[in-house]
Amino acid sequence: MPLTSQPIDTSIYTTITAAIRSEASRLFTAGEVVAIIGYAAARRVGSAQPIIITNAADAEKLIFTHACVNNLAVYLTKAKKEIPKTGKIGVVVKGCDLKALVGLMGESQLKREDLYLIGIPCNGVLGSTVQPATALTTESIASKCCDCNSHLPTGCDFVPNVALPPGLQMESRYSVEIARLEALTPAERWAYWKEQFAKCIKCYACRQVCPFCFCEQCLCDRNKPQMVDTTPRPAGNTAWHIVRAMHLAGRCAGCAECERVCPMDIPLNLLNRKMAKELKELYDYEAGFEVNDKGPLTMFTEKDDQSFIK
Amino acid sequence: MSRIGVFICHCGENISRTVDVERVAQEVGRLPGVAFSTDYKYMCSDPGQTLVKKAIQEQKLSHVVVAACSPRMHEKTFRKAVEAAGLNPFLCEMANIREHCSWVHENREEATVKAIDIVGMMVERVKKNRILPTITVPVTKRALVIGGGIAGIQAALDIADCGHEVILVEREPSIGGHMAQLSETFPTLDCSQCIMTPKMVDVANHPKIKLYTYSEIELVEGYIGNFQVTIKKKARSVDEDKCTGCGVCMTKCPQKKIPNKFDQNIGMRTAIYVPFPQAVPNTPVIDRDNCTWFKTGKCGVCQKVCGPGAIDFEQQDTLIVEAVGAIVVSTGFDLYTIAEKPKGSPIKGYGEFGHGKIPDVIDGMTFERLASASGPTGGKILRPSDGKEPKQIVFIQCVGSRAREKGISYCSKVCCMYTAKHTMLYHHKVHDGQAYVFFMDARTPGKSYDEFWRRSIEEEEAVYIRGMVSRLYQKGDKIVVMGSDISVGVQVEIEADMVVLATAIQPQKGADALAQKLGISYDKYHFYSEAHAKLRPVECATAGIYLAGACQGPKDIPETVSQASAAAAKVMALFSRNQMEREPIVARVREAGCVGCFACKKVCAYGAVEEKEIRDRQGNLIKVVAYVNPGVCAGCGTCQATCPSKSVELDGYTDEQIIAMIEAL
Amino acid sequence: MHPENQKHDFEPKIIAFVCTWCTYAGADLAGTSRMQYPANVRVLKFPCTGRIDPVFILKAFQQGADGVLVSGCHPGDCHYIAGNYHARRRFAAFRKLLEFIGVDLGRLAFSWVSAAEGGKWVEVVTDLTEKVRAMGPMVEFKALALEEQWSGAIDTPELQEAYDAI
Repeated sequence: MPLTSQPIDTSIYTTITAAIRSEASRLFTAGEVVAIIGYAAARRVGSAQPIIITNAADAEKLIFTHACVNNLAVYLTKAKKEIPKTGKIGVVVKGCDLKALVGLMGESQLKREDLYLIGIPCNGVLGSTVQPATALTTESIASKCCDCNSHLPTGCDFVPNVALPPGLQMESRYSVEIARLEALTPAERWAYWKEQFAKCIKCYACRQVCPFCFCEQCLCDRNKPQMVDTTPRPAGNTAWHIVRAMHLAGRCAGCAECERVCPMDIPLNLLNRKMAKELKELYDYEAGFEVNDKGPLTMFTEKDDQSFIK
Repeated sequence: MSRIGVFICHCGENISRTVDVERVAQEVGRLPGVAFSTDYKYMCSDPGQTLVKKAIQEQKLSHVVVAACSPRMHEKTFRKAVEAAGLNPFLCEMANIREHCSWVHENREEATVKAIDIVGMMVERVKKNRILPTITVPVTKRALVIGGGIAGIQAALDIADCGHEVILVEREPSIGGHMAQLSETFPTLDCSQCIMTPKMVDVANHPKIKLYTYSEIELVEGYIGNFQVTIKKKARSVDEDKCTGCGVCMTKCPQKKIPNKFDQNIGMRTAIYVPFPQAVPNTPVIDRDNCTWFKTGKCGVCQKVCGPGAIDFEQQDTLIVEAVGAIVVSTGFDLYTIAEKPKGSPIKGYGEFGHGKIPDVIDGMTFERLASASGPTGGKILRPSDGKEPKQIVFIQCVGSRAREKGISYCSKVCCMYTAKHTMLYHHKVHDGQAYVFFMDARTPGKSYDEFWRRSIEEEEAVYIRGMVSRLYQKGDKIVVMGSDISVGVQVEIEADMVVLATAIQPQKGADALAQKLGISYDKYHFYSEAHAKLRPVECATAGIYLAGACQGPKDIPETVSQASAAAAKVMALFSRNQMEREPIVARVREAGCVGCFACKKVCAYGAVEEKEIRDRQGNLIKVVAYVNPGVCAGCGTCQATCPSKSVELDGYTDEQIIAMIEAL
Repeated sequence: MHPENQKHDFEPKIIAFVCTWCTYAGADLAGTSRMQYPANVRVLKFPCTGRIDPVFILKAFQQGADGVLVSGCHPGDCHYIAGNYHARRRFAAFRKLLEFIGVDLGRLAFSWVSAAEGGKWVEVVTDLTEKVRAMGPMVEFKALALEEQWSGAIDTPELQEAYDAI
């Protein structure tokens, strides 16, 4: 029996938009930042897109709506071509995006003192922006927002002062799906993922959008030796997705951008959430809450579980 | 294009018995890149090596695969041969078709197919091998010796006599170890103290030896030639610089009834004490657990009577860091706890022998203290229970040793000889007494050893009974010993006044913890493992660390001294050069690919990864990348497996080499 | 009777990734002690389990391995201080991932075998070989490798027609 779709209150986003505009304007006027990465309205009604502004006059372009789905952290690492090289950068972050920034700081990719964080009290964004004018409901909301534990980002330099409307109880779509798959036999799971990976066209959009895929030379592009088959064939696709999930284990905090941008609708974040769940169970580690010197797979304790080792 | 030479060894018949070596040579010869392949009876022999060298030159080989025994056995041999023929030694690999193939499979067809696979994998691997230049590292010409028993003393003196500085660390308040506890020594019956104490004094007076007693190893960092060792000097509560060793404090200390470990707890000592009169250094220690001042805050008599004002109740443990180039481990042994099963140990006790319950059942070391002229009885053999002279004494050998069902399968090696010695000492001191010995075999392979053993029977009238004791119990003031004499097949029952157990030799407690600090391996009993049982018996697998004495396995004094001198010779060989060559199996960073996430740095246990700034010509920072210090890197490769972009690579075990092997399957 | 003297319909390919200091030496000891075990295993030597990349396991399965063994020094005994501890976490995570993808974990074994445990090496290798033999060949990755089709299902008549026309 499917739940009936319930509307989600996004009225605070208007107040937030006003607040980030005035803060942006103040920052440029005071000379505190040289650029701000945020969201602006795009051409289609209701849609939004990332924007980099460098002066107070452009502050008016900034918005925040439930169509502001992108994780802007990626503009601070590999997509930073248009970002000034020196000076403090302001960045608009939702709670989920902030986790990525926290992870990147732990991996020496960013320094906190180089950033001015404009945190967004967020009540959820759309799962798909194919129809950006859609209202936010318990059905149209992104899967990652269903069990969000960071509506209010902490440790930011500026957070608009708004009261978050009481959250709606939604079932965690990932947990349900992980549990469903875990209950299957290995052969059934293999069949499931085989079908999913068969769809892959190796466009690498998932890699491109991921804030943690910041390697300049991806292991999967190497040909001497060829560690992973690069052709868009089932064997290579499967290998790519396994390697990708392994490399993100303990680092991915679940912004789900990979899944959003996948043109073939492969449930990529499902793999990431599964790994996060395992690392939480094994080592009580959750990515993205504090800047950690070491992640779960770059540290150990002598008492770590070894029940699987003979 | 590679021109690989493959050399298949028969190893006499060790390999050729189960592996069709000619077929292996033929099939491997057809692999792409293989220019030459042959088989020979003994590839490691001189003619075998000449065969390899000649082929390299005549066939203009670019790489070599030797299919023979384990690389742990002969990799060095063949790399040396290849180097002599003008190739870089790291262009030679070994395929293990003996330990991993011919010795473990009986089916000739299966073994041959497997051998072809193994060699094929190595052929693919060697194609990806690169020329690796030897790395040289500086050598700190100072040695650390851990443990100040006879082994440590001998090693320290030998190294110091060659002019190199030695740091000698001893856990107890005095050096001397177990040898200082012994009464007389076999096979000459000279007094142990008489030959030991001069060496102890030599150590104390040697200008090149720095002695830390009452100290332990806290941390070992670094690598051969360049170790950093942190030593914890426990608080002695006595200022070593001020103390003159007059001993007034000890005579005045009111706590006089503390069992002295040095006397196997049958003699007593004070709370401020030296373990024995000839202790080196002759500086007392306050045993804080038993000192009235530390327990109640009152007393302080020692402080009042100490003329030079050396007593320091406030003294703290201190940490000292010493830089050394080589380490000799000589931590010695301990005796088997036979009373009961030690906690968590797979080794069982001998509850049936009443040790610990019946006061007159003692172990061999306690007998040594009774027989020692400087011991608690002044050298008289007296029973601990009532101080009477025992007229019937029973010695039981192999208590613990060679008892697989109890958990120890090895022979403790010295018990046969010291029991023979004990019967003699007993006979010399108790003329009307009778000694009985229960034994399984008499093992006396040493110079003058068998003669000594026979003397105990033929001249000193000891009665040897071949058989084991099944049970003993107290009956009045006697101990009834029941056993069997298997040579005549009768049950024996002896009413003894005292029983001496020749308990097994075990490594020191905490031997495993020290091994983990040092990064050396040990066997299931926690004896330290040598790099090779026959050919490298004094070196550890970890470069720069050497073994001396019973920490490696049960040994008598001459053997211990020989090994200590051998270890010293190894250290001196290392110190004979200002820098040494090391295997170039180290990690290297591909800076172009590195994005500076420093996952490698996080997992490196050696701190070998540093941060390096890359700047353009104007001096602007382009990026920060990882840099691996080749002197510090130990070559484990954990960094490479952790690096997401594989921008750090372990030479000798590159992804290319490993993938080539997997692809060869 | 030695298992290797029996005839089997299926001989699994077993790849063992081992560290040189403990397990490789343990396997050497099995040889010096003339112990016997199935000839299915092919050993790849690494300095340390810390060097073993999960990608190698993946690659081994893709190259036709029916079972994979990873073995190194017991905790606390690592020649390189902590490589095995890092490996332990890495593989704890990786096996969970493989399991989720649908790889039967019966094909992937982990063990600590010290230089003194020749007997344990024999046991570990024999167990894995027999287990995998009973499971049959690892067909999943091999089947993938054989599939030439470009990604995406050809699930409409138009696509099928277009595909046939190529």
